[in-house]
Amino acid sequence: MATVMKTTRDVKGVGLSIPRPDGPEKVTGKVQYVADIQPRGLLHAKLLRSPHAHARITRIDTSRAKALAGVRAVLTAADMPYLKKKAPTRAHAVLAIDRVVFAGQPVAAVAADEVAIAEEALDLIDVEYEVLPAAVDPLEAMKPGAPPVAEAGTEADTSEAQAHGSVSGVAAVAKPAKAVNISQQAKLARGDVAKGFAESEVIIEKTYRVPMVHQGYLEPHAVLAQWDMTGQLTLWASTQGSFNTRSEVADVLEIAENRIKVIPVECGGGFGGKIRALCEPVTAELARVTGRPVRYVMTRREELVAGMPAPQVIIRLKSGVKRDGTLMALEGEIIIESGAFSGAVLAVGAVFLASLYKWPAFEVRGFEVLTHKPSIAAYRAPVAPHTIYAIDSHMDQIADAIGQDPVAFRLRHVQREGDPMANNQPWQSNAAYEVLERLAQHPAWKAREEWKRSAPAGRLRGTGLSLGGWLGGLQPTGATVRLNPDGSLSVLTGQVDIAGTNIALAQIAATAYGIDIDKVKITTGDTDVAPMTGLSAGSKTVYTVGAAVLQAAQDARRQTLEIAAKELEAAVQDLEIEDGKVVVRGVPDKGVTIASVGRKGNLYMSKVPPVLGVANPAFTQQAPAFAGQLARIEIDPDTGEVTLHQFVVAQDVGKAINPLACEGQMQGGAVQSLGIALTEGLMYDDKGRLMNPSLLDYRKLTAADLPNIECIILEKPSPAGPFGARGVGEPPIVPAPAAIANAIEDAAGVRLTELPMTPEKIALAIAKS
Amino acid sequence: MAKQLLSFTVNGEPVEVLVQPYVTLLDALREDLGLTGPKEGCGTGDCGACSIHLDGQLVASCLVLAMQARGRSVTTIEGLARGGTLTPLQDAFVRRGVAQCGFCIPGVLMAAAALLAENARPSEDDIRYAIAGNLCRCTGYTKMIEAISEAAGMAPRTAAGVKG
Repeated sequence: MATVMKTTRDVKGVGLSIPRPDGPEKVTGKVQYVADIQPRGLLHAKLLRSPHAHARITRIDTSRAKALAGVRAVLTAADMPYLKKKAPTRAHAVLAIDRVVFAGQPVAAVAADEVAIAEEALDLIDVEYEVLPAAVDPLEAMKPGAPPVAEAGTEADTSEAQAHGSVSGVAAVAKPAKAVNISQQAKLARGDVAKGFAESEVIIEKTYRVPMVHQGYLEPHAVLAQWDMTGQLTLWASTQGSFNTRSEVADVLEIAENRIKVIPVECGGGFGGKIRALCEPVTAELARVTGRPVRYVMTRREELVAGMPAPQVIIRLKSGVKRDGTLMALEGEIIIESGAFSGAVLAVGAVFLASLYKWPAFEVRGFEVLTHKPSIAAYRAPVAPHTIYAIDSHMDQIADAIGQDPVAFRLRHVQREGDPMANNQPWQSNAAYEVLERLAQHPAWKAREEWKRSAPAGRLRGTGLSLGGWLGGLQPTGATVRLNPDGSLSVLTGQVDIAGTNIALAQIAATAYGIDIDKVKITTGDTDVAPMTGLSAGSKTVYTVGAAVLQAAQDARRQTLEIAAKELEAAVQDLEIEDGKVVVRGVPDKGVTIASVGRKGNLYMSKVPPVLGVANPAFTQQAPAFAGQLARIEIDPDTGEVTLHQFVVAQDVGKAINPLACEGQMQGGAVQSLGIALTEGLMYDDKGRLMNPSLLDYRKLTAADLPNIECIILEKPSPAGPFGARGVGEPPIVPAPAAIANAIEDAAGVRLTELPMTPEKIALAIAKS
Repeated sequence: MAKQLLSFTVNGEPVEVLVQPYVTLLDALREDLGLTGPKEGCGTGDCGACSIHLDGQLVASCLVLAMQARGRSVTTIEGLARGGTLTPLQDAFVRRGVAQCGFCIPGVLMAAAALLAENARPSEDDIRYAIAGNLCRCTGYTKMIEAISEAAGMAPRTAAGVKG
């Protein structure tokens, strides 16, 4: 369909709400995701998964499955001699070798002519298991004598933390003897905690618990693999980072990275769950042994049972203050359940606990615990919603206990730029204070007493708010900007665009070069052609790739001006780009068109070099970004049902490169945050089996559950981001659990310390109070 | 099992295709007819990504067997815009920047189109109820509601390229 994007003629770029140019493709069903690609000779893959959380495999017989008509390959670990018994990551555990460590772990793989045949073949694979005791509850799993998850301990994998805004200065601690399932430990301390508590007048201690939740992307994991005759592998992947997928698959399959081409197909949502490789290696192996293209698409049930969810997190906080509100001491413990493989952002969680407010003395201990459940991955600001739920629930209770205004109490103590985080790194420029201050000016906050009093008979009304944020990720990245012979620009990165970041990158290029946005085309290249580009994660796409595009566009502009300067016999510093022309400042009729510069770069026998702006920056300075959220709710105390009447997000984005896209991030993040708060949780039985493996039982919020999400954009420029931009994606998923818990306490006088805050829990708490 | 002949109307065109009797309408549309606009997000009728119109009624095509469509008329997202022009609903989705990952969008649009065919002046609650069977993980639904309201003439048109 020939649908042309229209923009107003005076558009230059940065700061405008320009809809993403692929909108028409997305509203007509034309956009192709992995499952939509159907090459000739396609085979379909299915995986046989363990029904047990922990078991020894004593026998596998695939002979009946192999004999089924239409089956092209059946694989077990025995067919993949390069698999390591001690898999360093989940991706390496392609198929179980002799032991399964979570229910849903792949044991065998089938490729067949049709999905139905592959499914039938799974039924014909005979596996005998010797079921072993499973470590299911993290608090039990960390005790000596618990059933061991890793054979000899998995190595701590902190690459996730690197992707999401790493922290330094956290002491690693040796684990206690025989606590076999403690896979990472951290400790942070400052000041005299015992003295602080001794001198405190009010001490509050609570334990907060957040279950595993699934990232919930609508498109399940999918990959299409095909080898050519020379041993080159092509992967059409639904990934948040094609270069990362390439590295992981190369490492698992033990082949050179430049023999793998990852084509990042449109990604139907990731939110952290599509960073690490999952089903790519086994699909590649099936394609290798069959010599045919093989497509594997996970079912929703497989996603919920055996995806890579966010961890369960248990946080104990004890805080002591003076009656006048002086902070004295904080003691914290964070336990992150990582499932069967290590990989939680433990240090980030531990640092967050004691870094938001100015505790003069604190001690925080962190533990990552392995259990016989699917291993976890990032989920949008990993572990930040959990830590902020604990911190900001706590701050509200302290303010209430000493009779102080919860906002004034927070504003008095919130850390500012230059204040030391718990790891003694100084806070970078941020707007935590300004965001909270702005949110508290909202009429819904000012009129919270009136709202409370307005409750109809038999209902309770309340208001709550919370402040949360994210440190912001960093990753080196590349970009090129090419001037075409007609004067248009082509921008190339390897950045996977999920949320609409490419339009923001194009706006940056347009403004930096000095050209209309209509003349800019941006392409996400595959790993064979694109400059090395990082993950779409850590709220860092616009911050880092945007910076690379900015520099590459400036480079292209400089080259353009230098070529024009020779022709115009003028100095570069006297030149301007205006309306598609390079002109001498103050002499508007003296100029050359950008198109003529571009054309000369592609003429036979021309001596003018083609304009190619290149940038490949690395970064050192993070840009923390904060969001505050305010909820106005009504509770039916008999049923515990919460109705959201109003929900406001105030967020510092540094500079709104594209306000429309910023709002989309704020609204979507807020609803994910509300899902964690109110409805979502993976529930396991005592054998470690998932009890709610469908979207009917794993309840996500629908349009009917929600009000419109109101957005307030603040712009406190970051020192190093392009045009002052900060990361936007992650902060809005952080505050809602605490905001809702605070609103529930305001309405009903009960404090919910376990998520999700379901009607059942709320009604029981109210009944008990 | 022997394949059976399915004759039906798809996006206004008569179609004949051989399908296995156990195949869902969603799979027949996607795998046999190349209409990949309807998506499989769950396969159990919970997410709404596979929504289509069957004789004008909104259905989850993953819950309908292909042979149940025999002699009937199917409209998919590919058939919503005829003649290369976006419908006002699709146009509002584009201008308001609704789609992020976009995976849910075909289903949401089919649900919204079914609503507007039945109720030309829906309230916000009507709209929220009408798309409550469509899960979206990216947008928080707000921009969808606004776009559907606009297409129904309930909300002011927002021009592209204007700040705010």
